[in-house]
Amino acid sequence: MSAQESASGLLAPCATCGEVPAPGARFCENCGSAVGPGAEAGDGPPILARPPVPALPPLTLPPPPPDLKPTDPDSGAVPPPPPPPPAARRPCTSCGGAVADDGYCEQCGEKAQVERDHWAERPAPWVAGVCDRGIRHARNEDAMALAASGDPVTAGRFAALVVCDGVSAAPDSDVASLAAARAARDVLASGGPDGATPVTGDVTERIQAWQTLMVTASTTANDAVLVAVGDKAERAEPPSCTFVAAVVDGPLIVAGWVGDSRAYWIPDAGTARQLSVDDSWAHELMAMGTPRHVAENAPQAHAITRWLGPDSTDPAARCAPTVPDTSGWLLVCSDGLWNYCSAADDLAHLVRSTEATTGREPQALATELVRWANAQGGRDNITATLARFEALPAATTSDNLHTDAVTGAEPATRAL
Amino acid sequence: MAEFSAEVFQNEFLSEGATDVHAIVTVTARGAGQAGAATSGGGVAEIIMVDTSGSMSGRNMESAKYAAQVAVDQILDGTWFAIVGGSHVAQRAFPYPNARVAMVQMEPAAREEAKRAIAMMSPSGGTAMSTWLQLAAQLFDTVPQAAQRHAILLTDGKNESEPRENLSQVVRNVTGKFQCDARGVGSRWQVDELREISTALLGTVDLIADPSEIAADFSSLIQKSMSRGVASADLRVWAPQGAQVLFVRQVAPTVEDLTTRRAVVNPLTGSYPTGSWGDESRDYHVAVRVASKPVGSEQLAARVQLAVNGEVVSSGLVKAKWSDDGSLTTRINPEVAHYTGQAELASAIQEGLAAKAAGDEATATVKLGRAVQLAAETGNDEATSRLRKVVEIESEEQGTVRLKRNTDKLDEMALDTASTKTTRVKR
Repeated sequence: MSAQESASGLLAPCATCGEVPAPGARFCENCGSAVGPGAEAGDGPPILARPPVPALPPLTLPPPPPDLKPTDPDSGAVPPPPPPPPAARRPCTSCGGAVADDGYCEQCGEKAQVERDHWAERPAPWVAGVCDRGIRHARNEDAMALAASGDPVTAGRFAALVVCDGVSAAPDSDVASLAAARAARDVLASGGPDGATPVTGDVTERIQAWQTLMVTASTTANDAVLVAVGDKAERAEPPSCTFVAAVVDGPLIVAGWVGDSRAYWIPDAGTARQLSVDDSWAHELMAMGTPRHVAENAPQAHAITRWLGPDSTDPAARCAPTVPDTSGWLLVCSDGLWNYCSAADDLAHLVRSTEATTGREPQALATELVRWANAQGGRDNITATLARFEALPAATTSDNLHTDAVTGAEPATRAL
Repeated sequence: MAEFSAEVFQNEFLSEGATDVHAIVTVTARGAGQAGAATSGGGVAEIIMVDTSGSMSGRNMESAKYAAQVAVDQILDGTWFAIVGGSHVAQRAFPYPNARVAMVQMEPAAREEAKRAIAMMSPSGGTAMSTWLQLAAQLFDTVPQAAQRHAILLTDGKNESEPRENLSQVVRNVTGKFQCDARGVGSRWQVDELREISTALLGTVDLIADPSEIAADFSSLIQKSMSRGVASADLRVWAPQGAQVLFVRQVAPTVEDLTTRRAVVNPLTGSYPTGSWGDESRDYHVAVRVASKPVGSEQLAARVQLAVNGEVVSSGLVKAKWSDDGSLTTRINPEVAHYTGQAELASAIQEGLAAKAAGDEATATVKLGRAVQLAAETGNDEATSRLRKVVEIESEEQGTVRLKRNTDKLDEMALDTASTKTTRVKR
């Protein structure tokens, strides 16, 4: 039985246009793209099994707790994805040559990219993201879903950025991540100005409302994973993923997360901050005083302590609101990017120097960040989503409050 | 209509920095049908060339004539045919030299008349095979409607009446005009001469030890030719821009290096003639050098296709995937290993026998020892038993042998002619 059959009726929406395909369909009825991760999943033998991570010199680290989820791709096996030939064939991404029926370039032999392996979204001119397979992984288990409305310089602006990183060690996590990202995006969009139940009130009330909605988004995403993976939930390593989202609502930003995908606030000048706090073993080590570079290179550094999926014990997002008083970038990304540039200041430097060459168009900037991560080795799937945040005139934030006064239950932005 | 399929055997995993991709591609034809039956506007032509030099006198000549008559019986009605007698000059025996047409279509009366003509052939003169091939090519030229052209050449002696270069030149000239199986009867002919002909003309070479066996051999050759319903097919090899095709080699049923026979289809694709096909399968070893890519990358290293009348009828994909997993990249593909060994076996036998003939016993001992070792490793029992008639084997595993004294010339020639025959991988 193919993976597609096992997932029949539960196929993820088309990565290109969002159309939900008919059970058994390999191509999207609407736009003709190859459909969803289910179509390319296989139960074959692992083809990119990695050797174990080499042991580091002995560290005086406490033993990891038993309920960690290993996400390190090097510790997991990736089943081969026999890709369906793309229906609407794009030219070769490597040389621009035509792609043959067999799915490879007629000129350079490069394997044709399937939509799930690389796509971009740009719901508004100031909001965009790029999701990419990277180099080392056989498939793209990252997913993103974006929504936006309004103009970046008006108080009515709204954006929701969601990134989910499928756990490579658990096969078919690409199905989980895409389902989760889209479900969460839809929940968050419902609170936007064009949504069914717009969030209203002063900044304090809105922060409270968004934090509530963020938890709803992550738990709804968790439910969506359960539906999407069907009977794969019974596996010892059921498909699962991380979750990170950030909402821009007028003057405020609210981030929420489960796992180690991250949201950063990167002002055009000044100190950048990681808004999210990793639910990871590395972070627990750092919280106990281990230096970042040691913690992030520890054997189980990438093991996450919380995730979405059938075996998740705590899918409720932790949240962190912030009300920036300067212009800058909201960056929501997966570890495929931040692995090469973990510290907020380093990432800020990367974003600013990249912006200097690409300009402020967010899709060009996201594309360049992904290209940069691939140039560093592309060891993991890479997702970079951006919203351009302009400081609003004081009048529009007349009911503004100090960020410090409203950071709610979780003083996350100061935890680092 | 014939159906072709292609199957690829390879280890697609390359270690970091590796560039060379090897694959065995098995091409299989089914439902080829009878020669001439399916060919569109084609037709089939057959020529039998029999040595009529003075040396053939006696049993050889009588056996050859009988064999040619048996062969004529096997040629299907409607097939264009002719009989050529060859010495230091070539002469058309049938249609009779004074006939106005160079080739006729087989039918019962023509068959009886051809047999009468064959009976009248008589031996005299020397041997210049280039003239035989030249005449055959001229005869085939008169039937352009026949897309499938096959000939048999039988000799018993050395090509003594002309410089060797003459033969080579004519072989080059007629290459691609027809296919030719070459047969030598007895032990006085030169294996390398007939091999040159059969290799270039996409046929086989073989030794007929006793003249009484000629008839059975001719009969089977004609039957095989008549069962090839696909007149002509080409192997096509595509390699990506910047890549280098290291070699293209047929490895089963016999070893034939095709690399230098490349014709350009387009800048990235070469075409290699494979002649006509019946219901059969042939294995090809393709080696391509590509630029190394980062670990995790995948690309196509070659498309190996069979084309009939310029149309691709089957395609196999040879891939390259770079990995840092040693358990994947160090895996040896059994098919590639097997045929690499078999190709080396063929050259070890040929080089060993050549050295022995030249009196270089040291080289002969080493080469034939290596051949014994390779025959054992690749399970080629027939090669082992032929080698046993030429060398005393001390250790198959080590490849240590002693050259036998007073070996039968026929045994050496049998070993030589059969050197390119390969065994398939035991699966």
